Amino acid sequence: MEAITNFLVSFPTEFPVLWILVRIVVIVLPLMLAVAYFTYAERKIIGYMQVRLGPNRVGPKGWLQPIADAVKLMFKEIIIPSGANKFLFVLAPMLALGPALAAWAVLPFDDGMVLTDINAGLLYILALTSVAVYGVIIAGWVSNSKYAFLGAIRSAAQIVSYEIAMGFALVGVLVAAGSLNLSDIVRAQEGGLLHWFWLPLLPLFVIYFISGVAETNRAPFDVAEGESEIVAGFHVEYSGMTFAVFFLAEYANMILISALTALMFLGGWLSPFQGSFMESWFTWVPGIIWFFLKILIFGFLFLWFRATFPRYRYDQIMRLGWKVFIPITIVWILVVAVAVVYKFPIWFD
Amino acid sequence: MRPENYQAKSHPPSNEYELNFGPNHPGIEGNYALRVKLRGDRVIEARADAGYLHRGFEKLMEGRLWIQNIALVPRICVPDPTPMEVCYSLSVETLCVLEAPERAQWIRVMQLEMSRLAAHLFAFGGHAATTGLYTNMFWGVADRDLILDRFEELTGGRVYSIYNLPGGVRRDVPDGFLERLAALLDYLEARLEDYDNLFFRNQVFIRRARDVGAMTREQALEWGVTGPNLRATGLAFDVRRDDPYLIYDQLEFDVITQQAGDALARNLVRRGELKQSIRILRQIIERLPAVPGPVRVPIPNPLAWNAPAGETYTRVESSKGELAYYVVSTGGDKPYRVQVRGPSAMHAVRVLEKLSVGARLEDVAQIMFSLDACPPEVDR
Repeated sequence: MEAITNFLVSFPTEFPVLWILVRIVVIVLPLMLAVAYFTYAERKIIGYMQVRLGPNRVGPKGWLQPIADAVKLMFKEIIIPSGANKFLFVLAPMLALGPALAAWAVLPFDDGMVLTDINAGLLYILALTSVAVYGVIIAGWVSNSKYAFLGAIRSAAQIVSYEIAMGFALVGVLVAAGSLNLSDIVRAQEGGLLHWFWLPLLPLFVIYFISGVAETNRAPFDVAEGESEIVAGFHVEYSGMTFAVFFLAEYANMILISALTALMFLGGWLSPFQGSFMESWFTWVPGIIWFFLKILIFGFLFLWFRATFPRYRYDQIMRLGWKVFIPITIVWILVVAVAVVYKFPIWFD
Repeated sequence: MRPENYQAKSHPPSNEYELNFGPNHPGIEGNYALRVKLRGDRVIEARADAGYLHRGFEKLMEGRLWIQNIALVPRICVPDPTPMEVCYSLSVETLCVLEAPERAQWIRVMQLEMSRLAAHLFAFGGHAATTGLYTNMFWGVADRDLILDRFEELTGGRVYSIYNLPGGVRRDVPDGFLERLAALLDYLEARLEDYDNLFFRNQVFIRRARDVGAMTREQALEWGVTGPNLRATGLAFDVRRDDPYLIYDQLEFDVITQQAGDALARNLVRRGELKQSIRILRQIIERLPAVPGPVRVPIPNPLAWNAPAGETYTRVESSKGELAYYVVSTGGDKPYRVQVRGPSAMHAVRVLEKLSVGARLEDVAQIMFSLDACPPEVDR
């Protein structure tokens, strides 16, 4: 008994690499499960919005539907078009999924509960989310299909332009928090609902989230998939597990964007009642619960957008990104900088 | 099918490329193909390719008795089948110098307007789906289903009712039907507000649909455009008002027009017509109980029914435009020739080809759905 306890206590220092692996598994496995049930939630919620029931046949109330889908996709044949480059064709979905998972390394779930607490966390996130576009571009290019190629071109142009607006929004957060470390950014928002950055950085908050929607190629910015014109866009030629990985990447990215928005603008693990008379009622709630609730809010917004907005036209998306979002973010960065310099209460004093 | 067969160097270098829309494509209604040639994002040429849904209706009709064709005609246009039945019945009645009793005429108009409601709900739902807004499509399908329930109660059939026949309709309105129809109309009218909020007042949609596939009134007339598509260019032409058939001259309704002639205007016309159809149906619910009479005149033995020799051209206003039957009889028990002048044959081939030129790739599907074409009717 004592030997087991000793082993467990000394495990992190004795086997540091294994310990990191264990922690990665602890993050990635629930994440994959969350992705699976996010697809279920999407089909159910959008189903109810569209006066239908959504999946309700596999398991009680359709709870096993995502599992059934996964099993089905695993057993399907991976068809590689004869004109495609096999290596890149298989590599592309991994390039899409990899960054979506890797970004979780620097995300704090609670105070101190983070895989790697690096000081350049924000930069790391920005770098990784930019890599994801290569998966889409390569997939569209090597498929050797016109539909896929059109989707890839659109996706590349769209992601690159929204990356800029997103980057500027992050600069605003950086200026406001004075740190690139995500835990420090959350700590800078201490003090309750009104102290979170969503209020002083409201334009940046909105723009960041909308850019996030565009970045994940979700409705109403899903021109890269454009079902009614280019059928499925960049992944039109993919089947079986290669398609499933693209699918996973899309949903993992949605959860990632939701988590980042929650961290940077809604105070991550902080309780919304901090500083108010209700604070003592909710002290028993662990921070991770608040964090998950905030992720759920943005996750729901993703689905809500899809059910209520038609797709923007491609040139409209570009105009929105370059002519509206980028100027607003630049102006607001200046506003924030001035507020920080003059220690504007209640956020920057 | 080897990669070397795909090599681009065998073609001269070009900025143009061709893309297939259909016959199996989510942006196309039914089995219908559009082959577009593009330069960048712009369509420079479009060729409609019907023929994937050819069922030979016109030829089939020549081999069937006058009354048997009733079961065939609604299949020509699935979303809006009733005008087909009524128009064919009217043609045969004209040939045989019959007239349906007044009560049957009221019931026919009731069906026509119910069918128009169902078809319009389907039409703008489909258009919304081409812009990625599937919610509207599912709502439209769900609400259309309620109308189909009433059709089932009235006629026994949900989609193909086969309820009209030369000389009247098959049976009278069931007890309590009009009350249930009135309740449905109240529901639909309240529901229109939801559609407005989701769709017709949705700024993203308005920006998507404005100036897409616009045509002028002159172009519309030259290309033979009819129905809501013509009224969207500002010309108030409606067969129901300008060449009244059945009892439309006793009903009050407005002819809805819009000026712009684009995809948005076409949808707004349909939205206005939903309201007008509800208005017409309310008048019918109010006045039908007082209309006396049988619902059918005696007809000869249908199996040995020889229509007098002659020819007739009868037109009605279907939800898609002017629908007409040109029927020729040589005095036999079968039509000698039936020609269907369907609105979709005009809209989905020539007009679609013309309007697609210069449009963006994303808007081709929108143009097709906003014209509300019906592929099975293109290729009869």
